[in-house]
Amino acid sequence: MPATVFLALAALTLVSAGIVAFSKNIIYSTLGLLGTFLGIAGLYVTLSADFLSAVQILVYVGGTLTLILFAVMLTARIDKMKVSNPSGGIVPAFVLVALLLVALGTVAAQTAWPSEARPVMPSTAKLGHAFLGEYLLPFELGSIVLLGAMIGSVVLARRAVKRSWEKG
Amino acid sequence: MNSIPLEYFLLVAALLFVIGAVGFLLRRNLLVLLMSIELMLNATNLTLVAYNRFRPENHAGQIFAFFVIAVAAAEAAVGLAIVLAFFRVRRTIRSDDADLLRN
Amino acid sequence: MTQPLDNLRSLAYFGPELALSGAILLVILWDLVVKQARVAGALAIAFAALAVSAGLSVQAIVSGAGSRGLFNGLIAFDGYTSLFRILIAFVTAMVLVFSKPSLEEKSAREPGEFITLLLVLTLGMNLMAASRNLLMIYLSLEMVSVISFVLAGFKLDDAKSSEAALKYVVFGGVASGIMLYGMSFLFGVSQSLNLSDIAAKTAELTAQQGKVPGAVFVGVVCMMAGFGYKISAAPFHMWTPDVYEGAPTAVTAFLSVGPKAAGFAVMMRFFSEALGAVHDARIAGTVVDAAPWAILIGCLAMATMTIGNLSALGQDNVKRMLAYSSIAHAGYMLLGFSGMSKVGVASIAFYVITYCFMNLGAFLVVMAVAEQNGGDETVGAFRGLGRRAPVLAIVMAVFLFSLTGLPPMAGFVGKFYLFSALLETGGTWSWTVAVVGVLNSVISLFYYARVLRVMFLEDAVATEPTTVRPMFQVTSLALAVPTLVLGVYWSPVYDFVVRSLATVR
Repeated sequence: MPATVFLALAALTLVSAGIVAFSKNIIYSTLGLLGTFLGIAGLYVTLSADFLSAVQILVYVGGTLTLILFAVMLTARIDKMKVSNPSGGIVPAFVLVALLLVALGTVAAQTAWPSEARPVMPSTAKLGHAFLGEYLLPFELGSIVLLGAMIGSVVLARRAVKRSWEKG
Repeated sequence: MNSIPLEYFLLVAALLFVIGAVGFLLRRNLLVLLMSIELMLNATNLTLVAYNRFRPENHAGQIFAFFVIAVAAAEAAVGLAIVLAFFRVRRTIRSDDADLLRN
Repeated sequence: MTQPLDNLRSLAYFGPELALSGAILLVILWDLVVKQARVAGALAIAFAALAVSAGLSVQAIVSGAGSRGLFNGLIAFDGYTSLFRILIAFVTAMVLVFSKPSLEEKSAREPGEFITLLLVLTLGMNLMAASRNLLMIYLSLEMVSVISFVLAGFKLDDAKSSEAALKYVVFGGVASGIMLYGMSFLFGVSQSLNLSDIAAKTAELTAQQGKVPGAVFVGVVCMMAGFGYKISAAPFHMWTPDVYEGAPTAVTAFLSVGPKAAGFAVMMRFFSEALGAVHDARIAGTVVDAAPWAILIGCLAMATMTIGNLSALGQDNVKRMLAYSSIAHAGYMLLGFSGMSKVGVASIAFYVITYCFMNLGAFLVVMAVAEQNGGDETVGAFRGLGRRAPVLAIVMAVFLFSLTGLPPMAGFVGKFYLFSALLETGGTWSWTVAVVGVLNSVISLFYYARVLRVMFLEDAVATEPTTVRPMFQVTSLALAVPTLVLGVYWSPVYDFVVRSLATVR
């Protein structure tokens, strides 16, 4: 049973990732991204990371994906849709990727990773304590990063919108 | 769920990372480039959480993954704002057309 | 190092960052609430915070405060951090001075936001220098990256600026993705994010296997993507020329110095604390321990220098030429590091100081010249500058000689320390790398000399003297004086650097 669940989730993740990377249609790519995010969220549950699974869905699906969808709608032209994603530079890309795969494969196979799993347990409470205790500093700094990013993207996007408003 | 060995998760993550890398190298649509980067970050997070699952002492891996998600969201927001701004100026989002600064 | 302090007690040692965080919030408020003197007030707040940050750090070094782990060991409080904090505060202050005229114009857009973002960047760079945990390294690097993307695209009426920001964001995203993947390997091996735990585990495994474990090696190579991106080392330098050319010049000056210094700070700490790779060459005398890392960094240094210098040769735009030159300088600095010795760390810290004077100065002159020539940044704009604006031309000559590394400029002394640190470790490998470095310095002479020739030996189209903003003249002189003085009387500064690094374990 666990094996079936794992295989299904892994397949969902990888197939949708393939759609993201290779589909000629940007809308399919975006929908593929949704599949990948959901698959990863599922894999987190099988790894007993329930809190992260929720965060993944809230932030990635609810936030990032929505943003990307908006960007797709604001930038893509329907008549351009068919030709908007041509590929290029296949040979060097495959050489690089083959090297990458070999390196990652060798490392994963040769290293004696720890294999004893701990029992399944909820992690939310422990993470909460860590955020307000041991990892308080990065938690607070994260808010400054988000503040800076918010100001920055407002500055960039607002000006762009204002200009098209003035022109049009 | 203890029956799935760590290597399987690492393999899925490595494949995901490689798919993201291929997408990044092959594709010329800026939004797809940003999506490929998200795939790579997701692969990393999966690796971190998977390593964390097999050692009971702490939750450092999950905490790291949490921050990656948060920061990636910030980066995506800024990145998409920049793509939008570029689009307003140039009316295209093909990365091949970003060539004003090329020799 | 003593037991790391808990959150509450760490605050006493966290003054510089607290001041910066407070200033960030204050500037936002000030910009919202106050109508009169908006820019002047925001600038005053920023300068005050930078002064507090630098002042506290000077005091920490002078009083010889010992090193401590703060916030449960996430970041360090030591002379190394303090030294870089002073440098970073100085760079940010200079860039605020550079951009003051354009911020105070009526047409300036979002001056308050610009100052806020610059302060966030400063905070991020301070934390980069202090991080001793993979999570903090990632977070502070991203803090700097995300804000840099915005600043590169700040001049949005301009297609070049938004294109620069775009390239920055795309390469930055991939570099941080690769770095994170490397970090996850290190976490997998050691089961900890703390650099000292990683060091212990790596040492144990290295002793067991007789070589550096493969996962650690791949992890470190992947992490070099993130570091290399920040210091613009090959092969992650591709964004540099485009971003430097497209971004507003004040931002370019900042990016060429600030994040590069902080990038070196975080990289050197990572290698010395997580891999135990940095030794006191005079005592240990063994390069064997650090072998794979010394070779890795040596190769990077050679590739970076060569690519930077060769590409700079054909450039017509001075800003772009300086971008390639800054890539080459990252290579020189890596040279000092490839010996993996503590002397090397000191030599890089000293070089970063001299580099920050000469490079900021060179960009300031480019800014002043472009302003007088309707935004023209090509070599042609410098034609006859020796006659039209003699002060500016002479000052530029000082900066360019220093960048080349000719005596009696600061750049020469800096390079001398870099090369001697490398050669102190000895061995054929060091000599090979050093020879490539010397050859590169010779190549660099050609493109710097080209600007000099145009300035002094060619006649300008217009001969009337150019009026330069007095503030630009004063600031460029203020940067030229240390460039000259450090070339003849450098020992107090070098001693200060060595002294502040002495507190690090």
